[in-house]
Amino acid sequence: MAKAWDVPGLGANAHFRDAAGRIVLTRWREMMSYGPGTLSGEDIEELHAMRVSSRRLRAAMDAFAAAFPSRPFQLRLRVVKEITDTLGAARDLDVAVDGLAALLDEMTPEERVGIEALIAEYRDRRADEAVHIAALLDRLEQEQFGPRFERWVSSATGVVGDGLDTRPPEP
Amino acid sequence: MAKPVPITGLDPERRLRPNARRILAVRIAEVWSYGPHVTHPGRVRELHDMRIAFKRLRYLLEIFEVGFSSDLEPFIDEVKAMQDLLGDIHDRDVQVPMLHDHLERLAERDAATARALLRETGQVGRRGRAQREIAFERFRAQLDAAGSASERPGIEALLSRRTRERDELYERFLSEWRRLGAEHLRRRLERALGI
Repeated sequence: MAKAWDVPGLGANAHFRDAAGRIVLTRWREMMSYGPGTLSGEDIEELHAMRVSSRRLRAAMDAFAAAFPSRPFQLRLRVVKEITDTLGAARDLDVAVDGLAALLDEMTPEERVGIEALIAEYRDRRADEAVHIAALLDRLEQEQFGPRFERWVSSATGVVGDGLDTRPPEP
Repeated sequence: MAKPVPITGLDPERRLRPNARRILAVRIAEVWSYGPHVTHPGRVRELHDMRIAFKRLRYLLEIFEVGFSSDLEPFIDEVKAMQDLLGDIHDRDVQVPMLHDHLERLAERDAATARALLRETGQVGRRGRAQREIAFERFRAQLDAAGSASERPGIEALLSRRTRERDELYERFLSEWRRLGAEHLRRRLERALGI
């Protein structure tokens, strides 16, 4: 599983609101960093990493909900949830295909026929999910959701996004 | 999925630690509130909700870890292990009914194929015995080719495997849950957090 990004400037004596801004912004950027790899579809681990990051982001938003005005918070949380769910449907199929493919060697030739048919069905459904993911990420891009999300977090918490030096952990 | 219990009395202007304590106290209690259900292997929904409660607790411990001087990593590992185990059980709880549905769909497909073939070969019944037998063999071959007979053994084997795995995972989960109880995980965690 991809490691969580370190949160810049977060210390043991942090204030709740400041921690909220730093953590939510970092997790947002962490999640979106996997967008291009997820869209290309060359490595299923990119989508997995994006989904894990989206869950970390959701957990952070839940934890720090008290630092944000309620209604706009719910609207944004819903979008993040939509991202997690959309990626989740594809990830479940990736895992199912991998799991079934790993079983093939242990099965008799007679049993393999059904498993191979099931794998083919899951692969078809996975191709449909890729279309949904592309549409969702395209919509977020069109709506400029990312920059607006960052501005919103900054205005609620006082943490300035431009000054936050977020980056992936060293390999 | 069970909604998380709302947390009141948070003050964003205070430091992270006191707010984190308040949140974590509620989420720990939430996990342990499922305790009475764990000895019932058929309580699929409650076990799923317990997994979600473990997941929330795990993420919160990871998020708030920075605000505490105690080493929370061993607790996070225990919580994650329980979340993973319940996740594996949940996967089987989802897959087993899906495979039953799949078998049903295969049966429906076979029935539709059989009906279509019967319509096509319906006239054969009036001919002589030898011709009827030839026609029956041809019918069976066509049914096998068009139907799902060849897919069933694999799906049935998978179904039986997943059902067996579910039983084994549940036994492991129950034994782990009892171990955590014997080792007073909850009390040690609360003490580490100053709750």
